[in-house]
Amino acid sequence: MSSDPEFDGVSPLTEAKSSRVLMVGAGGIGCELLKNLVLTGFGETHIVDLDTIDLSNLNRQFLFRQEHIKKSKALVAAEAAQKFNPNVKIVPYHANIKDPRFNVEWFSSFRIVFNALDNLEARRHVNKMCLAADVPLIESGTTGFNGQVQVIKKGVTACYDCTPKDTPKSFPVCTIRSTPSQPIHCIVWGKSYLLNEIFGTSEDESAFDHSIDADNAKEIEELKRESEALRKIRESVGTPEFNEALFQKVFHTDIVRLRSMEDMWKSRKPPEPLDYKALMEKASTLDKEAVIQDQQKIWTLEENLIVFNDGLDRLSKRVLESKAAGQDAVITFDKDDEDTLDFVAASANIRSTLFGIDRKSKFDTKQMAGNIIPAIATTNAIAAGLCVLEAFKVIKGQYSQAKEVFLTPFAPARLLGTDKSREPNPDCPVCGSFQVRARVDFSKATLNDFVEDFIKEELGYGEKEFAISTEVGIIYDPDETDNLEKKLSELSIKPDSFLTVTDEDNELVNVIVSLSESKEPLEEKPVRGILPSDTEVKIPTQPKKPLPLTNGAGSDGPLVVSLTKPTEAVTPAKRSHPGSDEGVAKKAKTTAADDDDDVVIVDDVPSGAGGDGGAIVIDDD
Amino acid sequence: MGSTLCQNRLIEERKQWRKDHPFGFWAKPQKNAQGVLDMKIWECAIPGKKDTIWEGGQFKLQITFPDEYPTKPPKCKFVPPLFHPNVYPSGTVCLSILNEEEAWKPAITLKQILLGVQDLLNDPNPESPAQAEAYNLFKKDRAEYERRIKRIVRENAAP
Repeated sequence: MSSDPEFDGVSPLTEAKSSRVLMVGAGGIGCELLKNLVLTGFGETHIVDLDTIDLSNLNRQFLFRQEHIKKSKALVAAEAAQKFNPNVKIVPYHANIKDPRFNVEWFSSFRIVFNALDNLEARRHVNKMCLAADVPLIESGTTGFNGQVQVIKKGVTACYDCTPKDTPKSFPVCTIRSTPSQPIHCIVWGKSYLLNEIFGTSEDESAFDHSIDADNAKEIEELKRESEALRKIRESVGTPEFNEALFQKVFHTDIVRLRSMEDMWKSRKPPEPLDYKALMEKASTLDKEAVIQDQQKIWTLEENLIVFNDGLDRLSKRVLESKAAGQDAVITFDKDDEDTLDFVAASANIRSTLFGIDRKSKFDTKQMAGNIIPAIATTNAIAAGLCVLEAFKVIKGQYSQAKEVFLTPFAPARLLGTDKSREPNPDCPVCGSFQVRARVDFSKATLNDFVEDFIKEELGYGEKEFAISTEVGIIYDPDETDNLEKKLSELSIKPDSFLTVTDEDNELVNVIVSLSESKEPLEEKPVRGILPSDTEVKIPTQPKKPLPLTNGAGSDGPLVVSLTKPTEAVTPAKRSHPGSDEGVAKKAKTTAADDDDDVVIVDDVPSGAGGDGGAIVIDDD
Repeated sequence: MGSTLCQNRLIEERKQWRKDHPFGFWAKPQKNAQGVLDMKIWECAIPGKKDTIWEGGQFKLQITFPDEYPTKPPKCKFVPPLFHPNVYPSGTVCLSILNEEEAWKPAITLKQILLGVQDLLNDPNPESPAQAEAYNLFKKDRAEYERRIKRIVRENAAP
């Protein structure tokens, strides 16, 4: 390696010995990567992971053993890997990487940061922190047999957010509630609607609390009745009539009502309502245990009824027991909770039947409802190896050699496809912004200080109009000046958080200001930029076309182009590699997905929507 | 928090709305306890269209933006729920431009959404009914339906 003609200096292996690096995530890729880093001889490796070890991790997260279950991944991984090489230092943190103590300053203390994460939110956070701290980031991810590794260096290569990411599929409420056409629609209905209405946290009634005055009282009452019918049944949990009442409501009454809306069925086959008693007669001879045990079989309608009843009985019993014990009686869907899975599988199948949709086995339902994607040890190991190879280039400063590597076993030409690192996307909402740091005396700094001393004066906005926002939203714009006299701390702005300054005229790019607590009190000006003293601040102007919203019909602005096809956009630009083809690019999909866990994790993706954690946006009605 | 893309877009939407919006409409992000405008939840008001039975009314709508906006559409909900064939009993609006699988496009602006919902008021879509009451009355007894709408308009008179 020392004979590398492009590198005159110390070998990267020697260099690694004195390098302090950070690895975020100690799961599927993390275990493999930590082993590599330690054996390569990286002098000091810090590990952050908030997770604990689960039984399902053990098949591939090889630093962990049975006895480690429920213990911290970071701590156990550090302990296990330390034995491989006692000459290196490993510093684990059982903590969330978004914890404010891991601030920009802390990030900037590392030579390289490695992402070995399993979710979009944390990846985006680390990406942002590395850009703010100007530390190179090596980003990796796998889904099943596919994997991807990419080097992110501020101003040199594209960042994680330069391409829009695929978001989990969601279903519109109309499809789920009224017009399902695929098995997944019914599964989502069972899991996110029915289960929630009966055993979960149903939508609160606040929507109806608004003034009911004399005239509209009747309508409000009717609407209320409609959405409260299920709630009433919910209250009868544990009574002998409960199962039948629920069945009749959702598989008969509601269906009859749906059918009454004739126009809906002009181009669709109307659903057929079912009758509980008639069906029960046919189902009475079935062997309950035998049916429930057979997870691979596609149950008949009668068999589904048996499972529906049995699952419902088990869930009801649990609710009553929790209630009796004075505990929270809420049950939410968990693919590993047999009771919820049985109930959802059977309910979905019964609904599918009456809409003329194919039924699914319990096994298939589990996979669909739980968003299960297999995680493969070998893929993780290859990705982790690639991370170290790219790290050597980073150490040598050879960003021009850095590659974006795709692991695509089904590509005809080769297992590993590589692309030259992409250039930063000038329209990127994250790295296309101008980054500055400011020191703040939080004991007295007001928003007005920030506006007057920092933005207008130090950043040179002068009389230009602008808006300021936190991660929550706008705190100041030309029409929103109420907050000016408030202290930043009163606006929940804490040390080590970020503020974004947006130019009202769309001339300058956004400025992202990272605020740090001043070590000493700042008397005259409690907000002070950390700026190069001799040069004037020069905020870049926005690339060519003014950004998105023409307030009119706007159907072909730049925004549209980059966004209407999120699925393709996930895959980086065009691949120039001769060995690549479209198939490669498609398979190469996304780091957004996951490396960890059999399971995933679309449930891990942050979302404000959906009671079940995000994969599915369903409404509340 | 949502992605930076989501946040930037909502800030842009606010800016555009402040600079120009249709008469009689109202839209502003909800203020939280600290005085910060929470860009994910907007309080809006839609006027009934001129020369329709909805004229003179003003209806409050809450718009909630998901983290994946603008890839995914926002959710619009009348508060309190509105008597209308395409409004779910909870108040949620069923409209093609708000449906990811149908006509939603990331380029659709807040203004277009509100105008779209306004259009929907007088022009219900019988293909996708969301509440039986209003739908059935609309289909079966148009005179009574219109009487009801007029009453609702009186009760929700624009200021």
